Amino acid sequence: MTGNRRGFVLIAMSVTMLLLLAVMGLAFDVGRIYIARNEAQVFTDAAAMAAAQKLDGTKAGLDRAKDAVAHIPMRWNLGTQEFRGVIVEFSADGSKWETEPSNAGSVTMARVTAPDNSVEITFLRAVGGPNNFVVPAQAAAMANPVRLTE
Amino acid sequence: MRRRQSGHAMIELAVCAAVMVSCLAGTFQFGYTFYIYNQLVTAVGNGGRYAAMRTYRGASDVDLEKGRAAIRNMVVYGDARPTDLAPVVANLRPDQVDVEWVKDKTGAPTAVHVAIRNYPVNAVFKTVSLEGRPGVEFPFVGRYAPGEREP
Repeated sequence: MTGNRRGFVLIAMSVTMLLLLAVMGLAFDVGRIYIARNEAQVFTDAAAMAAAQKLDGTKAGLDRAKDAVAHIPMRWNLGTQEFRGVIVEFSADGSKWETEPSNAGSVTMARVTAPDNSVEITFLRAVGGPNNFVVPAQAAAMANPVRLTE
Repeated sequence: MRRRQSGHAMIELAVCAAVMVSCLAGTFQFGYTFYIYNQLVTAVGNGGRYAAMRTYRGASDVDLEKGRAAIRNMVVYGDARPTDLAPVVANLRPDQVDVEWVKDKTGAPTAVHVAIRNYPVNAVFKTVSLEGRPGVEFPFVGRYAPGEREP
């Protein structure tokens, strides 16, 4: 009888700790995922506006747009990590997007994607969650006047 | 014998309760701090977008300060001219929002930096002070009117 009771405490404690890990994971990991998603969205908004502002119908304008995006001093993961692998694309009408458009004179829109924001999962992986969770973000803006469109 | 078992149970309960209360307290602390931080990211993002697109009027220092006040109001109340003074993030005040214009050689604004400064997140068990974070920088795409006055 005493042995059974000791076993029960062990099992109850294990189940409770698993549940506790899941709750901690929800608060800690999901909280960080939401923050990263929000930070990435604000960054792509600012980057798309910065890129659209530089569009002037020339090839040099496209290069200046990419340069402007590369120099935005915003970070993610609670403001600690730089955005990497940022993609800048251009379009004439918002239907077809190209990183190196052949006709720079027709470009009126810029789109920025931050695809590689991988949040490392701390607690949820102990209860079967993934090791990492990627939170991509994207925004597009038009030039003259510069306004966010997506 | 039964009294000894009861004593063991008390010790087990005490140890388990201490571990679990610590874990739950930590969970609440991090969860609440992240929740507030996420709200602040949204708030400074809204303020940054508004600042980037509004007309920059710089006839005098008073006009510049009025412009900054409107941006701070957008961050704190979600409205440049608020009628309801309820902050979008608990206990956030306009003086805890930093607004700085990045200017070129001629004095024209090229970007605006909006950040939170000296904001304490009171998570009951511990208070975390946010200094300069979260912060955003948006390119200035509004109208530049250095000779105009703020209405």
